[in-house]
Amino acid sequence: MERHTRFWQCALLALPLLVFGVLVVWPLLSSFYYSFTNWNGFNPHYQFVGFGNFARIFTDHLFANAIINTAIWMAAAIIVPTCLGLGLALLIDSRVPGGAIFKSIFYLPICLSAVVVGQIWVWIYQPDWGLLNTAMSAVTGQPESYAWLAKPDTALYAVIIAWSWQQTGLAMVIFLAGLTAIPHDLLEVCELEGTKFRQRVWHVILPLLRPATVVVVALSVINSLKGFDILYIMTGGGPFHSSDTLAMHMYNESFKKYHMGYGSAISVVLFLIALSIIFIYFRQLKKVDEIYE
Amino acid sequence: MFNGIQRKLLASVLAVTATVLLFANPALAAGEVTISHYFTGSLGRAGLEDIFAQFKKQTGITVKDSPIGHEDFKTGILVRAAGNDLPDVFSYWAGARTQFVADSGHLHPIDDMWKREDLGDIIAKPIAEGATLYNGHRYLVPFGYHYVGVFYNPHVMKKAGIKEMPKTWDEFKAMCAKLKSQGITPIALGSKNRWPAQFWFDYLLLRTAGPDYRADLMSGKASYTDPQVEKVMGLWKQLIDAGDFAPNSNAATWTDAADKVARGDAAMTLMGTWITGYWNNNKLEPGKDYEFFAFPTVTDGVPKAALGPVDGLVISKNANNVAGAEKLLTFMVANPGVQAKWASIQGALSANVKVDSSKYTSVMRHALKVIQNSDAFAFNYDLATPPPVAEVGLSMFAEFMNDPSGYKEMLKQTQAGASDAFAQQ
Repeated sequence: MERHTRFWQCALLALPLLVFGVLVVWPLLSSFYYSFTNWNGFNPHYQFVGFGNFARIFTDHLFANAIINTAIWMAAAIIVPTCLGLGLALLIDSRVPGGAIFKSIFYLPICLSAVVVGQIWVWIYQPDWGLLNTAMSAVTGQPESYAWLAKPDTALYAVIIAWSWQQTGLAMVIFLAGLTAIPHDLLEVCELEGTKFRQRVWHVILPLLRPATVVVVALSVINSLKGFDILYIMTGGGPFHSSDTLAMHMYNESFKKYHMGYGSAISVVLFLIALSIIFIYFRQLKKVDEIYE
Repeated sequence: MFNGIQRKLLASVLAVTATVLLFANPALAAGEVTISHYFTGSLGRAGLEDIFAQFKKQTGITVKDSPIGHEDFKTGILVRAAGNDLPDVFSYWAGARTQFVADSGHLHPIDDMWKREDLGDIIAKPIAEGATLYNGHRYLVPFGYHYVGVFYNPHVMKKAGIKEMPKTWDEFKAMCAKLKSQGITPIALGSKNRWPAQFWFDYLLLRTAGPDYRADLMSGKASYTDPQVEKVMGLWKQLIDAGDFAPNSNAATWTDAADKVARGDAAMTLMGTWITGYWNNNKLEPGKDYEFFAFPTVTDGVPKAALGPVDGLVISKNANNVAGAEKLLTFMVANPGVQAKWASIQGALSANVKVDSSKYTSVMRHALKVIQNSDAFAFNYDLATPPPVAEVGLSMFAEFMNDPSGYKEMLKQTQAGASDAFAQQ
């Protein structure tokens, strides 16, 4: 009987494992393999270059630029939606009139694909008739035509705002779920003891929201690592690499310059960074579990 | 524990997998030719579907097309090449891009077909040799070609009191100054996707250093730090510094620039003849609402070259239906009716000399005359130099349009990037 069960377990797991192997494991191993070659992406002939592609990373000023942008992107992708999401969750949880409607409105952007969000914000930032410049012109009385996405000083930050607009709703919903788990008796006791709202948030609510915060931060990090599509739609890493992140730099090297070997080396570095972050996340998750055990 | 339901589930999964594999087998589809191209939307997809329907009627072969947007096509088709998943036929740009794919061994030579169908007598001579021959073999059939000129709004020019279009660089600058004095922005440029800016570099280089030097630069024999290239950037910078370009060109696409000219917000734009297809679709009248003039002479005595891309069709090496693919290519280029229709839809010049040029619009006849009177026909920058080098140069042009002040440093960086790309070829 035991053997029979084991057979069926293996049989039913075989196909998902095969799909996972073909779609995830095989490309991953291929990336490792090609990172040691000078393959251009479609020529059947290539040579092994050892660690040449990895050595090149240290002299590539565009890679350094992409690392800095990735750090800015990830920091902003964690801090901005988390803080805004927390603020909105506290506001809605405090039973403001129309809270349920606001909750739906703020959550709506997360239902849209990053491509749609990117296109909406491309129109908002359009220099001649975009909503942002039109609103600024109305406020200042001066014609505004700043090209937010076409200037190297603002392109990355303009995309971060669009990204945060989408991701805030997700953080808000997770924090709201966390807030419902906090006993109301506890908050009432605090209030009766004469604590101020700020003190209650800092000393009671935030510590009890730690599990929700871990989830929000982890999701923000994972989503920001995946945040390629919105950048591709809004700036394509431009103008002239000013909004290149590691993922975008990898794409440009692999598919626009046809340096697939070097692009694979960048993807290996990106993989190691993602792996480190996921490792830290699981450690934090374990700590949270220990608190509740 | 595992009963009939699980067994049925497993059997269903295996059946679906088998069905997918069976229908994915391309060998079963011998009566069709697969094609991928970049002629989407206003670039002529509907017209192309009509042509494919006509082909099916004549040959019984179904053309199964999978169009991809122009910019995404550049990457998408090479990804398919990498996976040995190319369609039987795909559209491609003649020049360095085709050379790049031919070098990788992904193309099927069409020398036999070329002789059999007498294509040498059909294809226009100015483009036949440069566009079709790679490594001593013919790989590409030109499907249509374009000319890059300075397209302008005649109403705006008339309003500014400009009757004669400039023939020299000094006359051109004087015209820009006159337009500005009337409150009209002289030049619109939509360089968001970078490539529209390349035409300024191309023409200034062709008109100052000449086609031979340009060919050397495109093949890596000359350097971006040469005085010839510095001179080009200096001339281009003069226009930017003078405020001749509409602001925020890096935020606009080529169609935005075309719209600006059509509306009269700017007087002219340097663009290919595909702009005529776009304007015709928007009900602008050739010769009345738009016209063009050839890029002016900058240095006397330099051979006058025309510039533009050649759209072609190639057959992939692993094509499942080579005979059908060759029939399609022959039908597309050798049939004057198809060529005339395509030229009209796309705003292109036909590669087939048997097409009656009197059926072109007045603007396209003008373009054909300019090409015929030119000393040479050059492919534009991103088709003349290998794609990895073009990638470096195109970024430089966009950076230059944002702030041209540091162009000498930009040229040094471009040369470093180009050297690196040539070395990795």
